[in-house]
Amino acid sequence: MRFVAKRLLLFIAALVGLSILVFLALRVLPGDVAAVMAGTNATAARIAALRTQMGLDRPLPVQYVDWLGGLLHGDLGISAISGRSVVSQVGARAAVTFPLIVLSLAIALLIGLPLGCAAVITRNRRWRGLFHVLAIVGGAIPALWSGLLLILLFSHGSGLLGLFPSQGFPNDGWKDCGRAMASLVLPALATGITAGAGIMRYTRAALGDAAQSQAVSMAMACGMTRRQALLRVGLRLSMPQLVSVIGLTFAQMITGVMVVENLFALPGLGSMLITDVGNRDLIAVQSELFLLAAFFLLLGLAVDMAHHALDPRLNTASDDVQEVL
Amino acid sequence: MTASHGAYGNADATTTATSNAASSNGAASTDESLNARVRTSKSPRPNKWGIIIAAVVAIAIIVGAVAIFNGRNAQQSANKADTVTIGLKLAPPSLDIRRQSGSAIEQVLIGNVYEGLVSRDSDNAVQPGLAKSWDISTDGTTYTFHLNRNMTFSNGDALDADDVAWSINQLKEKQYYNANQVESLSKAEALDANTVRITLSSPDSNLLWYLTGRPGLVFDKDATYNAKTQAVGSGPYTVESFDSASKMVLKANPKYWGTAHKPATQHVVIDFITDDNAAVNALKSGDVDVLSPVNATLAKSLDANTYHVSASDGSDKFVLAFNCANKKLADKRVRQAIRYGINHKEIIASRGGVDAALGGPIPSVDPGYEDLTGLYPYDVAKAKQLMREAGYSISKPLKLTLTYANTYGTELGDQLKSQLAAISIDLNINYVEFSTWLQDVHANGDYELSLVDHAESHDFYKWTTPEYYYHYDNKDVQALYAKALAANDEKESDEYLKQAAKTVSEDAPADWLFGYRVTVAYNKGVKGFPDKLSQTVLPLWQISKAE
Repeated sequence: MRFVAKRLLLFIAALVGLSILVFLALRVLPGDVAAVMAGTNATAARIAALRTQMGLDRPLPVQYVDWLGGLLHGDLGISAISGRSVVSQVGARAAVTFPLIVLSLAIALLIGLPLGCAAVITRNRRWRGLFHVLAIVGGAIPALWSGLLLILLFSHGSGLLGLFPSQGFPNDGWKDCGRAMASLVLPALATGITAGAGIMRYTRAALGDAAQSQAVSMAMACGMTRRQALLRVGLRLSMPQLVSVIGLTFAQMITGVMVVENLFALPGLGSMLITDVGNRDLIAVQSELFLLAAFFLLLGLAVDMAHHALDPRLNTASDDVQEVL
Repeated sequence: MTASHGAYGNADATTTATSNAASSNGAASTDESLNARVRTSKSPRPNKWGIIIAAVVAIAIIVGAVAIFNGRNAQQSANKADTVTIGLKLAPPSLDIRRQSGSAIEQVLIGNVYEGLVSRDSDNAVQPGLAKSWDISTDGTTYTFHLNRNMTFSNGDALDADDVAWSINQLKEKQYYNANQVESLSKAEALDANTVRITLSSPDSNLLWYLTGRPGLVFDKDATYNAKTQAVGSGPYTVESFDSASKMVLKANPKYWGTAHKPATQHVVIDFITDDNAAVNALKSGDVDVLSPVNATLAKSLDANTYHVSASDGSDKFVLAFNCANKKLADKRVRQAIRYGINHKEIIASRGGVDAALGGPIPSVDPGYEDLTGLYPYDVAKAKQLMREAGYSISKPLKLTLTYANTYGTELGDQLKSQLAAISIDLNINYVEFSTWLQDVHANGDYELSLVDHAESHDFYKWTTPEYYYHYDNKDVQALYAKALAANDEKESDEYLKQAAKTVSEDAPADWLFGYRVTVAYNKGVKGFPDKLSQTVLPLWQISKAE
């Protein structure tokens, strides 16, 4: 329990620090939303009037406290440009980005876990070498490049096999599930392959360590074959490590898919952030970044908890330490 | 990472074959508790390769099914005749036409959702709008507009002279977008329900044209709505949904008052497609019926039997402004040398050869246009001579910085850098975000050279406003422009404008790299899409599609 409480306190402290960091970092950018709104025909007086209307001429601490007060009430604010609430804006974009991340992760796991296990299980040197090469080559392919390759191979119009759309997301969103899914396949593959190679390497290393452990030897002594022992005992032993890696991969993908979103012209969180920063819609950007960062932290928290749940040794260890103290 | 890349586990690990034999024997150990943990393997495991092949086949089937499903859907959506889908490049950031800048808002909303006192046709000429006719007093300072009868807004409210006068007075009071264009306008008043009088402080021959844009729009005095996300206008269409990241859906306004502009199509969907390749793919696959604009080079790949492709003159001017307030550029010889040193033909050719050469501040669609490209022809020898006179040479080049927004691509900057290097100018490119450009160049006037696309029509006034970021201050030009505004006669006004434009061009406060010509492409089944000026005037009511 103490662990959970401590971890939660840390989480809240990190959030507050984060809000200050995000707020200040964005104020360094030149230009402001009033100038963008007023455009190239504007007079200086018009820009000044807009600044006053939007409260941009107030001192920074006042603006910060105002924003933080809103956050505490669960009010993330309203975009100065589009007039929509940040929550609805993020929600609409997350409906593209999150399915994309989940799909990418699923592909990564489908590639990484079996290949990683196979690399440990196999005793054939050639296979082992092949898996090694796969892991290195797969991990070295930038998602941008594999994305282009996938477009050349599988996209409607310009690809060899016109299977999937290469650009954009259906305008009715998820109403037409098939089309929406189809437009996510290529981008998910592009990120999934790279991430999958990473997961494969980690699986191989973790399972390789487990293979050396006494637990696996014991299982084999009890009559399991090597493969059974590795998959049933070894994999379970390496689970905590793998969960951490999967959590990290997920977190990396939040930013990682932005490049791919751009390549496939998907209206996801990445393009939203780029547009909003471009428009200097700082109220929206700071809330969006804050949400994303909070999600990062939450993910870290969840992984830590899962770690503890999966590996009882950690609990007893920390309890022991506490008892000594 | 572990060092062992050899066999994991024990070297004498049992092989699969022996383990199967062992487990089928039942007791591998004498220990009961361990025996309990030994699971007998079920039927012999299917071959590893069998599983992989099965997985590949399953994926292929799913992929195929999805592809067929989604191909069929695409065809279905494009075949509906009561919907025309138009692909545009730029999306309005919001619907707030009174506050938000950007030509996309005007393009989509004016004449379709909001209507003005007067309107503009595809030849850039003023036409009746909410007002069916108007009288101008002989001194040019009083305009009396006679409105159409029984007009309504899309919410059912009546539109009368009160709304018109209120809208125009609000524009002045709140200094809404482009209020500075109608500075001469002092007030609007409703004489009766169908007559509005506008009084000017000084005559302004541009007033009617400006009233066809944002300053002339009429809003519902009594309606309250979130202007960023909703629109209540009197036009033939209403906004059904809008997301600047993807699309806007317009629906025919059932309460539309007019008979002349009855919508030919019930639904118009406007897709915002930023990527040029994606846009062309969308047209080819039938996801959109029209593209405006389309990349000139990519448009060449469209089949001439299926698609209509055309390019036309517009008001876009790519202006390479020289900051006249800067010490280095205050020397007229330097500014002239730059103009002589730029090879416009080469720049235009590298962009697909569609754009028009432009020698001065007024584009061909505006009054006062004349071809000024002969003033500064490409002449490196002359440019070098001028630079020598100004005291620069290849060994002692003039260092200048060009600040421009990254929306225009790096090629333009690179071309200018290499062209100007030949006339001993060392050009440093400062490639910035558009909002940074707005702040540094436009708002603060802190720059040496700047490049931007001035898309607006009738914007010569920027050369007569020394506070504008051009910092161009020429009393002769200001006097000529004032005369042009005061002139009652159109020809006389044009003549003054021509003189003013020529003076500006000769002074070389900028170089006009080219006039961007918009290429549009549409499926030949589409009728009524304007070839000209569709970036600013897009009358959707006349667009229809054959079944």
